[in-house]
Amino acid sequence: MPFIEVAGKKLEVDEDGFIQDPSQWDEEVAKYLAKVEQVDELTEDHWKVVLYLKDYYEKHGIAPMIRKLCKDTGFSLKQIYELFPTGPAKGACKIAGLPKPTGCV
Amino acid sequence: MGKRGPTPEGFRRIPTWEVAKQPAERPKKPATPKLASQKTLHGLGLVQVPDEEKVRVAIERLGEQIRQRRSYMMAMETCVKCGLCMENCHTFLGTRDPDDSPVGRADLIRKVWKRYFTVQGRLFGKLVGAEDLTLETINKWLAYFYHCTECRRCGHVCPFGIDTCEITMLGRQVLYWLGMVPALHADSDWAIHRLGNNMALTKSGAVDTVEFLMDEIEEERGFRPEFPVDKPDSDIVYVPSSADFMLNPDTLKGAALFFDYIGANWTITSRMIEAGNFGYLSDQYRTQRELVTRLLESAQQLGAKKIVWGECGHGWRAAKQYIRTMADVNPVWHIPIVHIHDEIASYIVTNQLELDPSRITQPVTLHDPCNYARACGHVENMRIIMRACVSDFREMYPNGEKNFCCGGGSGVLFDDEEMYPMRIKFSQKKAEQIRETGVGDGPEPGILCAPCSICKAQFYPMVEEHELNVEVKGLIDLVGKALVFRGKERTNNANKH
Repeated sequence: MPFIEVAGKKLEVDEDGFIQDPSQWDEEVAKYLAKVEQVDELTEDHWKVVLYLKDYYEKHGIAPMIRKLCKDTGFSLKQIYELFPTGPAKGACKIAGLPKPTGCV
Repeated sequence: MGKRGPTPEGFRRIPTWEVAKQPAERPKKPATPKLASQKTLHGLGLVQVPDEEKVRVAIERLGEQIRQRRSYMMAMETCVKCGLCMENCHTFLGTRDPDDSPVGRADLIRKVWKRYFTVQGRLFGKLVGAEDLTLETINKWLAYFYHCTECRRCGHVCPFGIDTCEITMLGRQVLYWLGMVPALHADSDWAIHRLGNNMALTKSGAVDTVEFLMDEIEEERGFRPEFPVDKPDSDIVYVPSSADFMLNPDTLKGAALFFDYIGANWTITSRMIEAGNFGYLSDQYRTQRELVTRLLESAQQLGAKKIVWGECGHGWRAAKQYIRTMADVNPVWHIPIVHIHDEIASYIVTNQLELDPSRITQPVTLHDPCNYARACGHVENMRIIMRACVSDFREMYPNGEKNFCCGGGSGVLFDDEEMYPMRIKFSQKKAEQIRETGVGDGPEPGILCAPCSICKAQFYPMVEEHELNVEVKGLIDLVGKALVFRGKERTNNANKH
């Protein structure tokens, strides 16, 4: 299992770079993962999505339906893709410290 | 869903008949999916067999399996290399790699079978097409058996009836026992054993999602159908398709609207919350079995009399064709399982639904999911529904049981740098078929109806890669929109979609 090192902290990641232990997630980790997912700087809009995902995951143990994400954050799918070029499921979720989606997605 | 890897340059515009003129060529190293981590393998109770033992273990497992089943034996012994399967295989049409054809893939096992299990192979080796099993061949198995989308178009055309997909499935099973499983499949299998479904869905998440969708229906149509979860004493247990909870909201809404319309006493069950079965695609012994058993247990628990299946291709085959022999339950727990399309079609032909096709005026074409059309005879009912729900339906050719795969079948939805470009090649033939219907020729996007979650997950990015100008929808999405709820829905919004 590969590791990444962020601000002196060693984090375990899976083969696609998703962090394995959500409790290790913090702002620095998000910034590091953002760079990996082609987001140079996390703006307020980025944080809105990232924190929404994080919060939803803590409540429900799963990422939200994409349409719900759009509706609750007020961004269209197009805007989400502009914010996160690698997409909501693999980009935004990875930055928010969620596990990689499995199954038919 | 967006770009995940490099697009093969200039590929999308080259028709397959042009590709076909290119010489067949083997790449130096075939594109291979990323393997599962040790952690996932341990979760599944698997240990990766060390390299020096792999050959021995693989031969052992292969021998066991082939001796056990006459169908494998027949497939090993009868192929005459006529090549008909090659020109009917979308992966070969897209890649021109001879190993990426049905006969090529089967030969990766057939040669080994000859070498170790036949007299002529043992005595004369290469002279009779037998070959030693090496680590290199096992790595080829991993690549090519996970390029095969298990669509069974080769089985449909083979003059001897060899179902080459059964061979690649056998190969996948042996690889599973070697601890060589792509991360996507192993992670989904692990989610099945941990949480009972491929997507690691939770009940809390599912309830939140369906509530959200029912609110949407209320906003759009002025009434709010029920979407029960784990309701005791339900007549029907509905098993929605897996990605419906993430990516396909209109499919879930369509099902709720249909059940509301017919006044069904129905529910979904959190113990078997979605229809996918990645066990069927990687480990039929334990994982597939786990889910079919779970299904009947949960239906029994809720007192259901019938199971209605959602829009999931491989899951439908995994349940419909295997549940009788695979589920470890009391035989009296077996209750009828029907597909939601069959249900809807039977209501349409008996004139019990009012559907307004003028609500969907964009041109629509239908992609037949392989596991419906070539495994379950599920072709005509989709057309009955389509003709009742939309005003401009255009068939793509070939269709029905002759249809080509979306290119993502059997969970070939890998999105790493090596495999993503392969998916674009695998969907090349399909893109041509869609383009020929002309549904995307207008200024507004047409509709590509693909009633299966894997097909949808493949098409969402592929229609953009191939610039097809279509929206991807399920079939019950269209039913939901076309259903007329007289005296119940807000009429001024009836045309909104």
